[in-house]
Amino acid sequence: MADKNPTDQPDKKVIITRRQALKVMGATGCAVIATQLFNSGPFSVDAIEGLERVTEADSRYEWHMVIDLNKCVGCQYCIWACQATNNVPEDDMRWNIGFPEKTENGTDFYMTRPCLHCEDAPCVKVCPVGATWVREDGIVTMDYDRCIGCRYCEVACPYDVRRFNWKTPTGKNEYVPTWGVPEVERRSRGVVEKCTFCVQRIDRGLSQGLMPGVDPQATPACVNICPVGARQFGNVNDPTSPVAIYLDEHDTFRLREDLGTEPKVHYVRPDVNGQEA
Amino acid sequence: MATTQLAAPTRRRFLNFRTWVLSLLIVVGIGVAAAVYTMINGLSVTNLSDRVPWGLWITHDLSAIGLGAGAFTFSAIVYLFRIKRFEPIARAAVFIGFLGYTSAMLVLAMDIGRPDRFWHPLIYWNVHSVLWEITWCVILYATVLTVEFLPILFEAKYFDRWPFLRTFGHMLHKLTPVMAFFGLALSLLHQSSLGASYGVLSGREIWFKPSLPVMFIMSAVAGGMALTLLATMVAGRVTHQRLIPGTLKREIARLVGFALLAYLYLKLWDWAATNYYSHAPGTASAVERLQLTTPYSQTFWLLEILLGLVIPAIIMLYPTLRRNDRALLIGLTLIVLGLVVNRWNVTLSGLVAPPQWSPGVLGNTIAAAYTPSLVEIALSAGVLAYALLGFTLGMRYLPVYPDAKPE
Repeated sequence: MADKNPTDQPDKKVIITRRQALKVMGATGCAVIATQLFNSGPFSVDAIEGLERVTEADSRYEWHMVIDLNKCVGCQYCIWACQATNNVPEDDMRWNIGFPEKTENGTDFYMTRPCLHCEDAPCVKVCPVGATWVREDGIVTMDYDRCIGCRYCEVACPYDVRRFNWKTPTGKNEYVPTWGVPEVERRSRGVVEKCTFCVQRIDRGLSQGLMPGVDPQATPACVNICPVGARQFGNVNDPTSPVAIYLDEHDTFRLREDLGTEPKVHYVRPDVNGQEA
Repeated sequence: MATTQLAAPTRRRFLNFRTWVLSLLIVVGIGVAAAVYTMINGLSVTNLSDRVPWGLWITHDLSAIGLGAGAFTFSAIVYLFRIKRFEPIARAAVFIGFLGYTSAMLVLAMDIGRPDRFWHPLIYWNVHSVLWEITWCVILYATVLTVEFLPILFEAKYFDRWPFLRTFGHMLHKLTPVMAFFGLALSLLHQSSLGASYGVLSGREIWFKPSLPVMFIMSAVAGGMALTLLATMVAGRVTHQRLIPGTLKREIARLVGFALLAYLYLKLWDWAATNYYSHAPGTASAVERLQLTTPYSQTFWLLEILLGLVIPAIIMLYPTLRRNDRALLIGLTLIVLGLVVNRWNVTLSGLVAPPQWSPGVLGNTIAAAYTPSLVEIALSAGVLAYALLGFTLGMRYLPVYPDAKPE
């Protein structure tokens, strides 16, 4: 109407019609979407290159951990060292959790649990984008840039291992520097994270000729910090590794073996010297 | 028109078209505000946690997709099996399905932590993931629904000015049988897979069973048909029209009744096999913990089975009741609500009673808890209002019911 009879309102000049405005807005919208698609979207270089996953790990190694519940004194150092090293400021986001427990016979013990790095990991199977996988060396790892935050892996994990970033982690990390120095970036809001067996130490250590489980620089922080040596770590393919020797010398069990997940974290019973022997 | 002898009841006056649309728009606005708030603050605005990472929004999702199943059911009946007497309701079914699936996608876009990466499943494949298959099926099926819905949209008076769009619509309409085929295939896949997304999790004892995918598709077929008929009846009452023939209405009701019986049969056997005749320690312990902290038994037996299945099945299958419009309306509403309760129960039951993994006796006894936050409720209400608004506007401006006659 207005552009047919512009003299109706002489003081109000019609510069663009509604149709033109819509056209411009539409074109701008399309341009923004197209830019997004090519910059970070499905047509981006990253997306196309990401189709092939680089195998960064060496299949000669298989990393396992033993937690001796009989030795553990419940000091929680392993929990704090993990939070400092892996940059986890919030206590409810802990990758390595611990709590006081009691056996059926009434023996008190302290239960700690990192990610169990299942060989047949339920979380890996369900991820709709393949953002988590079992590496050649058995570590269950995450690609934070690929995760869409659907939390199906959290739902699938029988061991309550995974943590979702409900908000941007901005808090001060109270465990730094007393218990360690952050070695990895904080994860962004909206993605899932979990214990990695301090994969950054393992990869860097191996490239420097160090042996994880033997050389502290290449060993997970929780293992190093333990004052009583309740945690052992190493390559089970090597019978002389500390973890292989420990497994050989102790009766161990794994959590919920009946689920068939084949965890790589083994436990020594808390009451081996108790009534049950 | 024969409207004169129909004394328009005065109590309907307060809810005229304009008021109704306006109030829906307000609720949609509240939903948009909740969405913006969530975008800014992240999912910490929900009451979800790492122990209960899925809640109201996933329930909304599953319910909207389940109740949208009328689209593939009626499309298959009319366009694939060529049972022409169902044709008067086919378009409405497609339209409601379209609203259901778009609702689900809206809610899902808010529920994932990184909505900007919604396209990742299309590029990064993990064929072992049920959710990957669901994502593909839902996106493809939403496309099918759009192709089926566009011809209806282009028939609106507004599109008189672009005749080529109408020609395009007619071309698309010729594809309907092909679309009905793909719709059937895709729906049989993802409607079941939604149940399977719980059923395949060997670590969650309450969920881990092969019956879940089958129960999901059976309840979706019954619930989808029920919602289509319910919406048709309500719309007919409000607009004083006979939207579909009475014989068809009763035939659909009977069909829904049989679908309910089949679902009920499977559901009772599922309960008997997993809870009554067997004793798997993990399942038994999880159910026990669930019953200690939640009213699961009551919501299962009273809401899901009795109100959501048995009573509606009687109404749908008993001819005298089926002919009574009021009884039929109540029955259909109960079915729809029963499906929503079921999706809520399935989602929450497995999460509230997680598997026990500690070797001790203390650590696992605590059950998780969840009540939706106000933001979650607001967003869900907004999306629900979007669907109702879509249907209302469709009723007014689109030829959703080609055989509509004034009452």
